[in-house]
Amino acid sequence: MPNTSSVAAENPMTKLPGDLAMWVIILAELSVFAILFLVFAVQFSLNEELFKQGQALLDTRAGLIITLALLSASYFVAQAVAFFERNQPKYFALFLLAACASALVYVVVKLAEYNHLVEAGFGLSGNKFFTYYFLITGFHLLHVLLGMGILIFVLFKRRHIGLHGLNTAASYWHMVDLVWLVLFPILYLL
Amino acid sequence: MKFESQSVAKPYFIAAIGLFVGQILFGVILGLQYVMGDFLFPEIPFNVARMVHTNLLIVWLLFGFMGSAYYLIPEESETELHSPKLALLLFWVFLVAGALTIVGYLSVPYATLAKITGNDLLPTMGREFLEMPTITKVGVVIVALGFLYNLGMTFLKGRKTVISSVLMLGLIGLAVMFLFSFYNPENLVRDKFYWWWVVHLWVEGVWELIMGALLAFVLIKTTGVDREVIEKWLYLIIAMALITGIIGTGHHYFWIGTPEYWLVLGSVFSALEPVPFFMMTLFAFNMVNKRRRDHPNKVAVLWAMGTGVMAFLGAGVWGFMHTLSPINYVTHGTQLTAAHGHMAFYGAYVMVVLCMISYTMPLMRGRAAANSNLSQVVEMWSFWLMTVSMVFITLFLTAAGIVQSYLQRMGDSPLPFMVVQEKIEIFYWMREVAGLVFLIGLVVYIVSFFVKGEEATV
Amino acid sequence: MNEIFTKSMARNIFYGGSLFFILVFLGLTFHTEKTLPERDHRENITEEVVLGKLVWEENNCIGCHTLLGEGAYFAPELGNVYKRFGNSKEAIKGFIQSRPKEGIPGRRSMPQFDLSDEELDAIAEFLKWTSEINTNDWPPNIQG
Repeated sequence: MPNTSSVAAENPMTKLPGDLAMWVIILAELSVFAILFLVFAVQFSLNEELFKQGQALLDTRAGLIITLALLSASYFVAQAVAFFERNQPKYFALFLLAACASALVYVVVKLAEYNHLVEAGFGLSGNKFFTYYFLITGFHLLHVLLGMGILIFVLFKRRHIGLHGLNTAASYWHMVDLVWLVLFPILYLL
Repeated sequence: MKFESQSVAKPYFIAAIGLFVGQILFGVILGLQYVMGDFLFPEIPFNVARMVHTNLLIVWLLFGFMGSAYYLIPEESETELHSPKLALLLFWVFLVAGALTIVGYLSVPYATLAKITGNDLLPTMGREFLEMPTITKVGVVIVALGFLYNLGMTFLKGRKTVISSVLMLGLIGLAVMFLFSFYNPENLVRDKFYWWWVVHLWVEGVWELIMGALLAFVLIKTTGVDREVIEKWLYLIIAMALITGIIGTGHHYFWIGTPEYWLVLGSVFSALEPVPFFMMTLFAFNMVNKRRRDHPNKVAVLWAMGTGVMAFLGAGVWGFMHTLSPINYVTHGTQLTAAHGHMAFYGAYVMVVLCMISYTMPLMRGRAAANSNLSQVVEMWSFWLMTVSMVFITLFLTAAGIVQSYLQRMGDSPLPFMVVQEKIEIFYWMREVAGLVFLIGLVVYIVSFFVKGEEATV
Repeated sequence: MNEIFTKSMARNIFYGGSLFFILVFLGLTFHTEKTLPERDHRENITEEVVLGKLVWEENNCIGCHTLLGEGAYFAPELGNVYKRFGNSKEAIKGFIQSRPKEGIPGRRSMPQFDLSDEELDAIAEFLKWTSEINTNDWPPNIQG
């Protein structure tokens, strides 16, 4: 439905897809993750040996699979939005489901990673690198789960969600994906 | 005043101010004991004066919150209070219980008080701010339950607004978290862990909901800004408060025996705790700027804006100064903590209660909207005297804390505690002078209630 | 009217955000409780240590002192006093016992609590146990 309020039409904030409140959240989330990455970087330079050893134990292959899974999920979400705009509810729902399935791949692989590390004796305490690893990836995992919840909520609402609401949900999902794209190189590769 | 029953707030406010005076008298005593170590020893040792000072603070603020709620809820709900009689009964119960407790602190050694009040049955005494005997704590729970019941019935009966809902949520949260004061594990680490569920989740948690609601109420009444705008801001402010403050509890879990990941989590999340206070300042100034009316009660508006600024400075800025774990490692438990504590409590909670009193008292005493110009000017003097002297108290204690941290916690030959205390004595003297000015400000505040004159119009 | 930032969105952020973080906090609490036994030497919390904590509380030591940095700032930190007094329980007991009833003129004074021998032993044991908690290396030095 086109926006008929002239004040709102002049306001650049209306050009952002989705509710402005979501963008405030996105800004806040990115700030928190930025701080976490910054602190991690500082700790890395203070504990190079320990952190390099820890990094070597991470499964880069798993990281790549996760990256692909999340990128696919974002692609599916973007497609779902397109189908919604073109009023094709069946494809809209299908692609949302595909996004959830991709996200589920992330969850499974991540938990498998955690399981492997815990069995090797690493956890939240004891090794500084792994404290940060579990905290940062764990916090991200919680956001992915929340994102999946939001997508499922949208699925249930179907066309009643409206384009505005759908864009809001999609923006959140893309933020979660973006964070991973920064997290992966910083934690796994650098 | 739209409903007769709102007037039960008056005795609560009068008691609040009376206890506030007691609190400051003992504050002045404590400040003197810092520099004249044996002042009033052994009749009133430092620890006794301190528990009187801190407990009076908490109790008078609770009286202030209760009075504010009794005024606000009926007005927002557009219906009379469920039972004014119950409110008055609970008032006397709370006041007498509180007075007896203070008398208990002052008249017998603390260990004796513990014995005669049966602390051995369920030991909850002897922890900071929770010094009151277990039976007093039970009394507080009963008063709180009656209070919540009374307001709850009123709230459910009438119109539910965001402001009244947030206030109710905050008050219920206050009562629920207080229950943790009954949980006193034998393991000191666990004792401290859960103690903070009362203290932190009160002042950096549910109390912020109460403060936000009260501030929003006064701003709606004095600025006439659209309720929709104010209520949306209120939701965002309290959202940020809990989103940062809940995990922010971790900034009390750095050095008490809990795992290292709290060093990271506590630092990161508590670093953002100033955000809701910053928003409250923007909120207050913005609403006043956008106002649609010039309310005759100018001093109430001054308190509202002052609350935003001082809360942000005291709780936000001073809190941030020592919240990051590498810094806190060196400043933990020093005068810097005291500096932050004083300005934070004053800026956030003392001022918001005084703001509510400033707005409601004239109405409850029969004015149409505000006190006389002269009375308001006198009250404004008290605002500036108390606020500026508090800033100085904080600055002097900050200086003391920085020197203390440097001499006692850093370098190759750190000095013993008592030696360092002697070296920073000058700051304590200056603090005491500022404290006396604060007391003068409080006296001026009380005088303002007795200044007469024609009601101020715009 | 197409509101770009609705009140109900703000409300959802409040309830959703708060619930999310309450759950995270509870999860972390659970994990902390599981990890604590490695850090607090609770096997050393004997009857005597328990009594010592009670003596600490019932005489309101926290009203002047800090313990692990928490309390009043009038008197020294006692979390590491066991170490500061040369790993000696006797030294702690001796100090408490020797406080003059009328105080020391002109100085910050500690009351004479008239503790029994059992209570003195207990509080010294409590402070010894406290000094052995893994506090992430706090305080920075022996002065507390």
